[in-house]
Amino acid sequence: MASDRGQTAVPSLGFLTVVPHPQHGLFGGYLLLNASGRPLEFHCTAPLKPNRAQEILFGPTLESYLYGEQIGQSLAAKASQAPLVMLSDVPAMLALRPFVAQPVVLVLPDAEPARTGEANGSTFHRVDAAHGQLRGLFTFSFGRNALALDAAHADDRATARERLALVAETFDLAEPFGRIRAAIDEAQRSGR
Amino acid sequence: MNHGAEARRASVPQSALAVQSYAVPVERPECRTLFSEFVIPDSSSPGESLIEVGALQASEFNFAALRVEAFSVAIIEPRPRAISVAIGATKPRIRTFTFAGGDDQNDPLPCPTLGRPLPHAPRIAPADGNGSASAIDRLATITRIAPPEDLIKLEDRLQCVLQPPLETLLAQQSLDFPAHPFPYQFEGVAFLYPRFGALLADEMGLGKTMQAITAIRLLLHAGQVRRVLLVCPKPLVTNWQREFAHWAPEVPVIAIEGDRNKRHWQWHQTDVPVKIANYEALCRDHELLADPAARFDLVVLDESQRIKNRASTTAQVVRSIQRRRSWALTGTPVENSPEDLVGIFEFIAPGHLSSQMKPRRMGRLAADYMLRRTKDRVLKDLPPKLFRDADVELTPQQRESYRLAEDDGVLRLSELGEGATIQHVFELVLRLKQICNFDPATGESAKLERLLADVEEVTASGQKALVFSQWVGTLETLAERLDRFGTLQYHGRIPSRDRDGVIRQFRQDPRKHVLLISYGAGGVGLNLQFAGYVFLFDRWWNPAVEDQAVNRAHRIGAAGPVTVTRFLAADTIEQRIDQVLRDKREIFDTIFSDAQPSKHRGLTQQEIFGLFKLKCPAGPIRVAG
Repeated sequence: MASDRGQTAVPSLGFLTVVPHPQHGLFGGYLLLNASGRPLEFHCTAPLKPNRAQEILFGPTLESYLYGEQIGQSLAAKASQAPLVMLSDVPAMLALRPFVAQPVVLVLPDAEPARTGEANGSTFHRVDAAHGQLRGLFTFSFGRNALALDAAHADDRATARERLALVAETFDLAEPFGRIRAAIDEAQRSGR
Repeated sequence: MNHGAEARRASVPQSALAVQSYAVPVERPECRTLFSEFVIPDSSSPGESLIEVGALQASEFNFAALRVEAFSVAIIEPRPRAISVAIGATKPRIRTFTFAGGDDQNDPLPCPTLGRPLPHAPRIAPADGNGSASAIDRLATITRIAPPEDLIKLEDRLQCVLQPPLETLLAQQSLDFPAHPFPYQFEGVAFLYPRFGALLADEMGLGKTMQAITAIRLLLHAGQVRRVLLVCPKPLVTNWQREFAHWAPEVPVIAIEGDRNKRHWQWHQTDVPVKIANYEALCRDHELLADPAARFDLVVLDESQRIKNRASTTAQVVRSIQRRRSWALTGTPVENSPEDLVGIFEFIAPGHLSSQMKPRRMGRLAADYMLRRTKDRVLKDLPPKLFRDADVELTPQQRESYRLAEDDGVLRLSELGEGATIQHVFELVLRLKQICNFDPATGESAKLERLLADVEEVTASGQKALVFSQWVGTLETLAERLDRFGTLQYHGRIPSRDRDGVIRQFRQDPRKHVLLISYGAGGVGLNLQFAGYVFLFDRWWNPAVEDQAVNRAHRIGAAGPVTVTRFLAADTIEQRIDQVLRDKREIFDTIFSDAQPSKHRGLTQQEIFGLFKLKCPAGPIRVAG
């Protein structure tokens, strides 16, 4: 069920990531930035650890369940405003898309998107080649940022491009994830 | 009677998974015999299962009649025990932090009067909506602004951590640089930017000025500061003005100078965000600074070792300035003792250090407030600095003069007893050092002989050399003796108006190979990186001054290695001074354990007396050099 919260007057981008910790589990972080790249809101989760039953029963779908439904959805719901686009550097976070109204875009690692010779420069990639459900990535570029959508939501591309162009002119879209990781680390250290 | 076995349909409960069949004599049912057993693979089919039992010869059993009974056997429980497993309905706990307006950690101050940034300022190229790959340039480096340790609240720390990297801040505000800063300089700016108390103690020549100006510039543009006071030694005021014009041309700057009325007006001028004052002017105008209107958002002290003595008037006046942020800059945070650092910290973080602390603890506590880098650690591409200690043996005539002077001097000091002062000892030291340079009777000089040989080689290879001495007289004598190599002089007897011309000629005239400089006049502010050789003809009291001298040549822009020759007359007062200074390096190394060894210490009164094995008289300890 998609969130129907409207966007606020301050155009913002949402950056979501998950930091796995070997002992504690998964820390989720969600950073809302304004058009200048300044932080508006930051939300982070207490560590989440899948239990044994989840590991067995969810099998290969566990990651997208934990990242997208459990962590992503909870974080998105906590924010006081809805961003224009939600971005993540974790493929499993694309599973959040059915639960929010905005496009959920994957920022691919610092490399040029694959070139297939197609007219629109887009292609499909398998991210789960070995097993698991069939899920494809629909990749596209925005400046030098290589981005991707869940293939099931490839229609979001036009919206994502249009909204990113409004606010992300000077953004290196991969950079804010480093801030989230540093903030989670800071929050973790303060809790010790 | 049919003796054949009957084939019957047996009724099997649907949940059964196995069937056992028995032959049962009609007349003797107690003699039931098992004759078949099989498993039904699927127990889920509705209704009765049909069991076909093959024909059985009744004669084999010798029974008149048989009937077949079938029983279900539960080899798997028909209705398994159900266990409910919770698979994760729990939602994670979430902490939320909101940042008003997305601005910096404090309410931005009203924007100062700043000019427009340079029009050709490079931005991070925009990503166009059509997805052009050439539209955005990834940041070459990412310098994060880490929160200082004195920022306690998690929310404040996160706000700092979550700010864009320094390069993004600069690009967004279109802040250009005349030359691309080194990564360590960005780190220095990122160190200063969030701090309310900071000591930037980089080695000379690494660009403390540029880093401070850039941090000030960023804070001004972010509205975090509006009124900045920069305090420096008087000779450096014009240098700071020049550097501001170079690195932050849009930031208006005013130097506090002139008569009292003019200074009064300048102190109260509100439309100029940066004021530059020298230490003497600051002390003269300290009453004006007591005015609540004269509150500064940031006070920066250049050459902050000037306040190392906490009891000095300068230190007291500086500490009395009303301010929010306090930064100190110096290449020599500890010149004589850890006490120097305590003096500087009384300005940047009062009470944080005390002179009772052991150096190791002091270094640990100071670490978060202090950033010190050395050239060999951060400027890997800077050509090396090669040191040669030229230990020369005095000529026989020099040695005799030296011995007589020393014996006579020590005798006189002993006779003075408790009446001996630092001045008496100092005079003797100077006298002996002069003899180490030139014998007063004959003009002989072992150092000169060695220097002539070296300069001959320098000249032959077309290179240029700097020769430093603390005495103008020595330099003038050297000028005569080295004349054939093309000498120029730069010291207190050269009029100020002629000095720039001397430097220009030395740089441009291929016939001029040697520049004779006094430590006092040429120790700071000169860029002579085209000279590949530096000779320290005599040694200064404080190696920090020697470092300043060497760094005239060994600095950013140096084309090749710089060879530094330190003359030292063997078995003389020079060697004893050098040994004392070497011993004191250990203190510095303990405090700045992360830094490379440095030589920024002078001699105390006790140590000067100790050079002649004399007991220091009671009284305040003063520092020489």
